[in-house]
Amino acid sequence: MQLKKIQRRGAAQVRRQLMAASCALLGAGAHSQEPSGTQKDDSLLDRLLEGVSFDSALAYYREDGRIQAIEPVVNVSKTFADGEVATLNVTFDSLSGASPNGALPGNVPQTFASPSGKSLTTGRHLYTIAPGQLPADPNYQDDRIAVSGNWDLPLSRLTRLSLGSKISGEDDFVSVSVNASIAQDFNDKNTTLALGLNNEFDSLRPIGGAPVPDSDYAAFDKNGNKTKDGVGVLLSLTQVMTRRWLTEFSLSWDRFHGYLNDPYKITSVLDSAGNTTGYVYESRPDERTRKSAYFENRVAFGQMSAGLSLRYMEDDWQIHSDTAQAHLHWSFANRERYLEPTVRWYRQTAAAFYTPWITTEERSSIGNQASDSRLGAFHAFTYGVKYAHKLSDAAGLAGSEFSVRLEYYQQIQDHRLAAPEPLQGLDLYPGLKAILVQFGWRF
Amino acid sequence: MALLGTISVEPRGADLVAACFTAMASSCELLVRASQLKVARELGECVAEEAWRIEQKFSRYRSDSVTAWIHAHRGAPIELDEETSSLMNFAERCYTISEGMFDVTSGILRRAWTFDGSDRLPQSAAIEALLPFVGFDKVTWRSPCLELPLGMELDFGGIGKEYAVDRAYDLLAKNSAGPFLVNFGGDLRASGPPPRGRWQVGIEKPDQEGDAKMILELERGALATSGDSRRFLFRDGVRYGHILDPKTGWPVIHAPRSVTVAASSCTEAGLLSTLAMLQGPRARQFLNEQGVKYWVLE
Repeated sequence: MQLKKIQRRGAAQVRRQLMAASCALLGAGAHSQEPSGTQKDDSLLDRLLEGVSFDSALAYYREDGRIQAIEPVVNVSKTFADGEVATLNVTFDSLSGASPNGALPGNVPQTFASPSGKSLTTGRHLYTIAPGQLPADPNYQDDRIAVSGNWDLPLSRLTRLSLGSKISGEDDFVSVSVNASIAQDFNDKNTTLALGLNNEFDSLRPIGGAPVPDSDYAAFDKNGNKTKDGVGVLLSLTQVMTRRWLTEFSLSWDRFHGYLNDPYKITSVLDSAGNTTGYVYESRPDERTRKSAYFENRVAFGQMSAGLSLRYMEDDWQIHSDTAQAHLHWSFANRERYLEPTVRWYRQTAAAFYTPWITTEERSSIGNQASDSRLGAFHAFTYGVKYAHKLSDAAGLAGSEFSVRLEYYQQIQDHRLAAPEPLQGLDLYPGLKAILVQFGWRF
Repeated sequence: MALLGTISVEPRGADLVAACFTAMASSCELLVRASQLKVARELGECVAEEAWRIEQKFSRYRSDSVTAWIHAHRGAPIELDEETSSLMNFAERCYTISEGMFDVTSGILRRAWTFDGSDRLPQSAAIEALLPFVGFDKVTWRSPCLELPLGMELDFGGIGKEYAVDRAYDLLAKNSAGPFLVNFGGDLRASGPPPRGRWQVGIEKPDQEGDAKMILELERGALATSGDSRRFLFRDGVRYGHILDPKTGWPVIHAPRSVTVAASSCTEAGLLSTLAMLQGPRARQFLNEQGVKYWVLE
């Protein structure tokens, strides 16, 4: 038969030719795989020049009518003669105020139970929300302490290894993470390539137990503690372009697995007429993979420098986000003072399962759902300014710096669904406004 | 685009949700994670519309298809659109690679053959009479200009379904996060493993209707199957499957009942399984030489 020729011609040649023909037919995209990519490593601490450096700050944060927080931070760093740097950071957070529970405002009073409650009709843990008000637990209180240590050591003239660990504890949450990164300089130290790995283990011990996802709020179907864990990879390239221009590009990828719900968030259930018939606990997927790309440029000119950074993130919950941030650094008074205005724009799409409410019909179908506005589509602006003043020798604190930072944050929910008739006129998408004031002292 | 059919969305186990529809005379489905329930219909529509578009465009049964338009202009040079040109280029490549065994002009031979499970073989003369109208080398094709000689026919049916799977896959790969599987009547392609384990795919066993299926597992990539499950003739102890040798006009005999091949694209997998079937008794040898993963049912 004629096909014997094909066989004689041999081996995988037919397959290779078919593969090429298929590629030509389907286009270049047919055989591509997803690129990897995510989160910028925020834990990289200020590189300190010599000896011990002490950096402390006290921040006050307040959301309009909701949570407020006080956060003192202390950062101690020691640079050794052989170039090793050890860093210890201690952060304390105290949060209190009213925390939205995820339910919609109603046209009648709504009664909820604080997380420790076991009934919606009796007990001292109940709170009632007036018609038109956003349901929020008025007695929210949480304290957090986080300790992180980092050890940065040169392996050779051009290679640095960094090892770190962080432990963070709250009343209802413990998180332990370890990280390692290696950075290699090339090209007369004008190019730095770094690879970082991060592994995190979290234990959730919600007050009253972790609710069963999607369970009826009134059933108090909660069982014990939960865990989640995450792993992340960061690849970054830093390049000195000219004497005045530095650019950085990084890709990161991370994946979390486990109980990813906020155990205190619920979703309103509406009947076909739009009346609230109850609530269910949110139900997020038990896995989340994020990829992001980050691009930053800094330029210096005289007493000024400016930076522009862009970040793109996407995850498999179908959240895509874009961040653009610009800042200006202006030194004056013989470089003893500086002013640093910052503006940031952020936008994200909603998670695939985000929904402001669910209907009684949807209640019976499977799937994930969450009304947490942080998973919805929104855009946000941050405006900030920092002023720093280096104190003179006369004060006996040579090299110390005092600073104050002010920030205003505004979040606006996008893609709003039309309100059902009974809820019309109520603010179902209140957004968020917050201010931050931070005092810093470094010596 | 006008709606060409309906789509139903239904859960598949705890982890998955399927958007199901019918296209190209096959049961088609898109599988995505259950967490994408709210967008499953939207994604399903995207896949179904692409399947229906390709079916409508290349069907040999429809009078408004490109195929019908080409047939109406036999004997004269015509200019094809970009997509049809790509398919013609691909068909030409396959004709060359297979040394004439895969031929989009061979569909006309079906006029002589009716594979109804009976023993009624056609008269040799009837087949001989059709052979002059078979052969890609008789077609004048210089992309995008085609001149199809009078009496000849083009049939993209041999690659249409696999091509549709890949097209739908590409559309979704651009628009969807998370793993998914596109399955058009057993020709399928997956973007990555499902939330737990692997995709479980049932491939129909020859001669057995309904639930008798061979279960294959895959994480990503494509599978395509060629077979003669219910389209054959049987005479004097010889089974004549519906896969015809375009050079003789007769079915390839002693071919496996079905060949399933794994490849990176469904189009590639489909061609490999078809070419393997055309090898008749040497199908396994051919597949071994290609170094592909395959499943053969004798």
